[in-house]
Amino acid sequence: MSVNGLVLPEVSARRRRTDRIMRGLLLAATIVALVPLVLVIYYLLKQGLSAINGSFFTQDPTGSFFGGVGGARSAILGSLEIVLLATVISVPIGIGVALYLTEYGQSSRFADVIRYFVDVMTGVPSIVFGLFIYITLVLAHLGGNFTAWKGSVALALLMLPIVIRSAEVVLLLVPASLREAALALGAPRWRVITRVVLPTSASGLVTGSLLAVARAMGETAPLLFTTAGAAGLTFSLSQQMNAMPVQIYNDILSPRQVVVSQAWGLGLILVLIVLILNLIARAVSRRSRLG
Amino acid sequence: MNPPDTTSKERKDMSTGRDPSPRAEPAADASEATISVERRRGHGVNVNGLNAYYGKQHAVKNVDIAFPANEVTAIIGPSGSGKSTVVRCVNRMHEEIPGARAEGRVALDELDVYAPGVDLTAVRRMIGMVFQKPNPFPTMSIFENVAAGLRLTGTKSDNLRERVHRSLRAVGLWGEVKNRLNEPGIGLSGGQQQRLCIARAVAIEPEVILMDEPCSALDPIATLRVEELIDELKSRYTIVIVTHNMQQAARVADSTVFMLDGEVIEHAPTNEIFTRPKDERTERYVTGKFG
Repeated sequence: MSVNGLVLPEVSARRRRTDRIMRGLLLAATIVALVPLVLVIYYLLKQGLSAINGSFFTQDPTGSFFGGVGGARSAILGSLEIVLLATVISVPIGIGVALYLTEYGQSSRFADVIRYFVDVMTGVPSIVFGLFIYITLVLAHLGGNFTAWKGSVALALLMLPIVIRSAEVVLLLVPASLREAALALGAPRWRVITRVVLPTSASGLVTGSLLAVARAMGETAPLLFTTAGAAGLTFSLSQQMNAMPVQIYNDILSPRQVVVSQAWGLGLILVLIVLILNLIARAVSRRSRLG
Repeated sequence: MNPPDTTSKERKDMSTGRDPSPRAEPAADASEATISVERRRGHGVNVNGLNAYYGKQHAVKNVDIAFPANEVTAIIGPSGSGKSTVVRCVNRMHEEIPGARAEGRVALDELDVYAPGVDLTAVRRMIGMVFQKPNPFPTMSIFENVAAGLRLTGTKSDNLRERVHRSLRAVGLWGEVKNRLNEPGIGLSGGQQQRLCIARAVAIEPEVILMDEPCSALDPIATLRVEELIDELKSRYTIVIVTHNMQQAARVADSTVFMLDGEVIEHAPTNEIFTRPKDERTERYVTGKFG
């Protein structure tokens, strides 16, 4: 149709067809990706729920071939304790490094080198951290052979690059105008950091750290080499300690069906803990003042 | 020339490069509180042979300006003429920008703020700054924002509440916020936020207040309020205001500096600059022929 010599052409049939095909392909890719995710959750619920009962949380695994299988108390509490120590180690150091990068190093050559190493560390497989701690701390018999705190150190190494990277991103979001405002008032740089930069970015820092915690929670390999599973309950960090991923690994190798289903139950609990951590992280970041 | 005893004390401290921490001077702190209501003899700023660079870019070229005490001096000129840079050199904020440096002499009365060993934070406490965009601290309440200048500099003040209230009154914000001092500072309107930032600068009792286009983000009514405020503040402070708005310079300034390409073209009483400028470039600028 032409009005005063102006023509608005219609979309050609070929373009419409291409559009429909491409949309279909993208939707198919999404479904393919979603299927395993849904199946994982389905199997966890189906196999795991039956294993979870009262004694699951009140008894420790017996590890015996006969008789009762016990629960998973030591694994759950052990994981929480090991990861807590790893968090205490990695979060302050990680945020410290990020503060150095954003507030002092900025775009210096040294800061860029650190950033590069942090990126490389992010990609290092977790088993390598386990191996490293095994060689440097376990084989050296530093305060015993396999101990819980060595597992924490291995997990802390794993968490460190995650914390640094996420914290740096959040700290960069703090507007430069706020730092300027504080500096122009005559504040020393350390007070600018403690009173303005950190409070402004607090929720983001918490979110990033929680994601690192969630990641560490499920790691098996660093713990296999460092704490090695002890079935009994202990709170002493200088002893062998049980942990959820390690217990799952041990259970799944068992010929007894009850023990294998214990592993599923533990897997379900692990996913739930990670899910809760993620939900908290989201809730905290929603309260962020950085938009 | 400088009757208040507090400043003579600060002079001595600055010349020796020590931090004149008011924490060590409770007497000085108290006397400051009593002189705040009436007119106060301010201190002028003398800029001599100032050169400022951003990396290789020579932004300010051999500038000499005297900012007389208790007067408002406006700096006008087209974008990129170095107005803001001059102002940022006065309180040494220029050097916070990576790659930026300044040479020359900037003196508060006779006190060289670039003297070796001078405490940067002391310089900035004496020479306050208000920025183009209002930048209250988002994590702090209205009260805390005004108190921030005192808290961030570690100034111990027995009468913090009173000083905050007085500063809010000084900027004409008291009536509008007295019932919501604990609400966030960023909840205020743009014009109120800018007056809050001025209150924050005033609360630490500086000698000089630098304003870098303080009204460019405000509507005309808020602008008018800030201009009235500037007129009131000059009885107690020396004020330097960078502005793009020539009417504003004409309204508030006792003398006006015209800058072009990093050089001072003319500095004269404001009515002379606008009615009978000596330099042809000034005339072309104030009559709107370029810039």
